[in-house]
Amino acid sequence: MTTAQFNEEEIRDSLKRCPESAIEAAVQFASTRNPDLIPTIVMGIIERFVEPDVRPVLREGNDQIRLLEDLGIDSLLMVEIVILVEETLGIHIENEELRNLRSVGDIKEYLDAKIKGLPIPTGHNILKFEEIAAVMPHQSPFLFIQEARINGVKAEGTYHITGDEAFLEGHFKDNPVFPASLMLEALGQLAVLLMLKSENPAFQGPIKADSIYFVSCDGVRCHKVCKPQDIMHLNVSLKKIHPPMAQFEGTILCRGSKVAKAEEISLVFEFDGDESTADS
Amino acid sequence: MRSVVVTGIGLVTCLGHDTASVGEKLRHLQHGIVKHPPFIGDPKIPISVAAPISGFETNSTDPEDWTYPGELRFRLEQLRGLSPNALYAHFSLTRAVSDAGLDLESISDSRTGLYTASSGSAMMTHYNLSRMKKVGPQRCSPLGIVSSIAGTLNFNLAAAYKIRGSTSGFVSACASSGHAMGFAFDEIALGRQDRMVVVGAEDFTEETIAPFSGMRVLSESDDPDTASRPFDKNRNGFVGTGGSVTLILEEEEAAKKRGANIYARLSGWGQATDGYHVAASHPDGDGLARAMRLALENAGWSASDVDYVNAHATSTTAGDISECRALKSVFNDGASPAISSTKALTGHALSLSSIMEASFCLIAMNQGFTPGSAHISELDEEASGLNILKESVANAPEKVLSNSSGFGGVNVVVALEKA
Repeated sequence: MTTAQFNEEEIRDSLKRCPESAIEAAVQFASTRNPDLIPTIVMGIIERFVEPDVRPVLREGNDQIRLLEDLGIDSLLMVEIVILVEETLGIHIENEELRNLRSVGDIKEYLDAKIKGLPIPTGHNILKFEEIAAVMPHQSPFLFIQEARINGVKAEGTYHITGDEAFLEGHFKDNPVFPASLMLEALGQLAVLLMLKSENPAFQGPIKADSIYFVSCDGVRCHKVCKPQDIMHLNVSLKKIHPPMAQFEGTILCRGSKVAKAEEISLVFEFDGDESTADS
Repeated sequence: MRSVVVTGIGLVTCLGHDTASVGEKLRHLQHGIVKHPPFIGDPKIPISVAAPISGFETNSTDPEDWTYPGELRFRLEQLRGLSPNALYAHFSLTRAVSDAGLDLESISDSRTGLYTASSGSAMMTHYNLSRMKKVGPQRCSPLGIVSSIAGTLNFNLAAAYKIRGSTSGFVSACASSGHAMGFAFDEIALGRQDRMVVVGAEDFTEETIAPFSGMRVLSESDDPDTASRPFDKNRNGFVGTGGSVTLILEEEEAAKKRGANIYARLSGWGQATDGYHVAASHPDGDGLARAMRLALENAGWSASDVDYVNAHATSTTAGDISECRALKSVFNDGASPAISSTKALTGHALSLSSIMEASFCLIAMNQGFTPGSAHISELDEEASGLNILKESVANAPEKVLSNSSGFGGVNVVVALEKA
């Protein structure tokens, strides 16, 4: 699909509420098509559409910042952003591709590939709750991942604290706070999901779902509390694996800031087809 | 049938933004019409006057350029889905809710509905479609439809205020907000809802007003003081205005129970259609006369009970005559109620006019006066035998009819009485 190319005046007009740096980069991009200018342009366009009070979050430049949860960009504002990006960069973004753009990092990665003509990163295996529940040994009410995606040796997941969780009645009285122990549990669960769903060769083959158990945890720090209606963004990545042990590190973000970190979560596991050794 | 009362008024009008200042202007016949620079500056537009809304500047097609009072703040994704009339409506709605002594949470329940009236936004429709033709649909705002089509008020307001009862929009041209009030009355009277938020709003833009010049129905006078003169022999067309008015209707017992201030009872309504012409009203006002009779019947009144009629009279030659004939046929046994057209002060607010004029009746009833029909220097002979008030009088009407007529020959009449 061809796109109408805008002249300098039109570029300046369509970007009029973006930061000056983005406008200048866009004008330069129109003549040079230098891909190094893209992050400045795109971040400027996103900044123009987010509320002033979350702009500092965006300026941190963290690729894990979520468009909806952290920046408040709903699907319609996302389309406005896409239109401006398309216009400015002279590209066309397919609806299907749009659905996979959920974080600042996704957008940068996607546009970089698009401009350079490289294969478009797709999907990253986004898993809905039903798919997660289908593979996890953990089940409701003790499953603390609602949506996740697996990307090689990393996984991201979310858990929305509804406030209806029974344990919040007692933790604490008249002051519902998501327990730190369950934050750690949620990270452990995401690590389990990563082991079960990743097809990365680092895991050396399919792992048996009911063989994975918690062993130890080191370097746990909680910085902030999470309360009902908060959405916890869980991230884990594989640090090392020596069967039957695997070590992960994990962090939890909420509203753009870090609430918890675990430097090392160790899990024990068996491969599918192994003779059962833990029959208890 | 349950009784329905009005407990809140929210105003965004060319006469002002609150009941006190609008009441003062109605009482003293101070109009809101001015020479309008955008019309004067365009030689293709033969009109020069209009009645703008102070505090709002919405001529740009980019909502982020608009200026409006600081009492409301909009999130970007909210603002970008608004038409000018939906912007005004946000203000009138929040003002009405507050005037009714309610908070915004209390209109978000399954027993509260929202009926709106607007013709959509000609300006936003034109802008969005022009852009679509130029750059293709995928380069157009995803909220272009929401900000353009006739449902823009109910889309925007129902979402913003989390309306959970019945929601609908009414499109019957200059009778639209009369229909919204009438059907909202029915919702409460029939027990389907306990409270209704009724909103009329119309863009104040060239795109909404100037096309009427193509029908030759706008006043080409350049004198703001006399351009709008319903019932005057030498009237020569209407003057355009816009804005928004919201009324809060409640079931009477529930309103009394919570100690609400009650402006008046909405006692009933009637509607009838001319079956005559797409734009012109029936020469004898047949549909309007029948609508008035139906409203009287619905309210349980006889014609002689009525103290005041707020006429639709827009200051066009044909329309005012047919309304005079309709009035004479309904009030035919001697005593005419007091009659005036407040459009002499405001011009014609199109979809908004019916609810705006109902709000003026409520204000007059509560502030102890009956508004006059301004700018009449020579009464049209068709009006002889009717008690057209040339000046306001210092007593409040107790039983009021408010008339509205629109394209297609639709006529809506609402009946209000002191509660």
